[in-house]
Amino acid sequence: MKYSVLAALLPLVMFPAALAAEPSPPDSRAYIVWPKNGTVIKGGKFWLRMGLKGMGIAPAGVEVAGTGHHHVIVDSELPAFSEPIPNDPNHLHFGKGQSEARIELPKGTHTLQLLFGDTGHVPHEPPLHSEKITITVK
Amino acid sequence: MKTILFAASLAVLGAAASGAAKAENTKRDANAHLYIGWPNNGEVIRGPSVKVWFGLRNMGIAPAGTDLPGVGHHHIIVDAPIPDSAEPIPNDENHLHFGKGQTETVLTLAKGVHTIQLNFADKDHLQFDPPLVSKKITITIK
Repeated sequence: MKYSVLAALLPLVMFPAALAAEPSPPDSRAYIVWPKNGTVIKGGKFWLRMGLKGMGIAPAGVEVAGTGHHHVIVDSELPAFSEPIPNDPNHLHFGKGQSEARIELPKGTHTLQLLFGDTGHVPHEPPLHSEKITITVK
Repeated sequence: MKTILFAASLAVLGAAASGAAKAENTKRDANAHLYIGWPNNGEVIRGPSVKVWFGLRNMGIAPAGTDLPGVGHHHIIVDAPIPDSAEPIPNDENHLHFGKGQTETVLTLAKGVHTIQLNFADKDHLQFDPPLVSKKITITIK
């Protein structure tokens, strides 16, 4: 009796993330509309324009199939896809459903990469992320 | 006595007027900006498909029906004027709804000249106060 209960629970313990990932449809993608790779920005303030094909945007916490919200990774690598995207200066969240955001970066070279996440900030399966682009702030 | 009657009748009229009023349009951030990122005004496009990219600043997007402040969803008005503020945006071939929170689409348009205008509306497809509309652009499909 006890063993059958444990056996039933074991997959949940071993693969908790397997329950969590929301699906992304085939042909869906996240991409940076602007800036482009190699863009030089004077002054450091710009509107990051975020593109999304095949899915829709919803604010964080809203649970509607086929939706999620944008995140941008600044000067860092893609995080583990099985975890919620961290919330720190290198991982900007747009949980209010923005498709554009005013970003300010200091002088120098920076990388930007979009990563779409679900209502709980967890990347979809398969994950929707843009190419990583490099920009220069003068 | 006359004064009381007069005041009472005014109160009744006032109540009747406010009762008959439709739901108010939701106020929105004055800095919200809606624009068509692509195509540009005057563009000549080999059809019948044309991708349209919706630009929105200082507001967020949510699926239709989502009751949160500062959000709404996109609509495209094709070959028609912006609808009346008092009514929900109709749903027909001239008024396309993107209630799943989409930020782009691919339109199929017949050859010829067309006007396209974005209209961002609230969870019930009602205009914001003031209405949030993009410039109307004219494109030619070849």
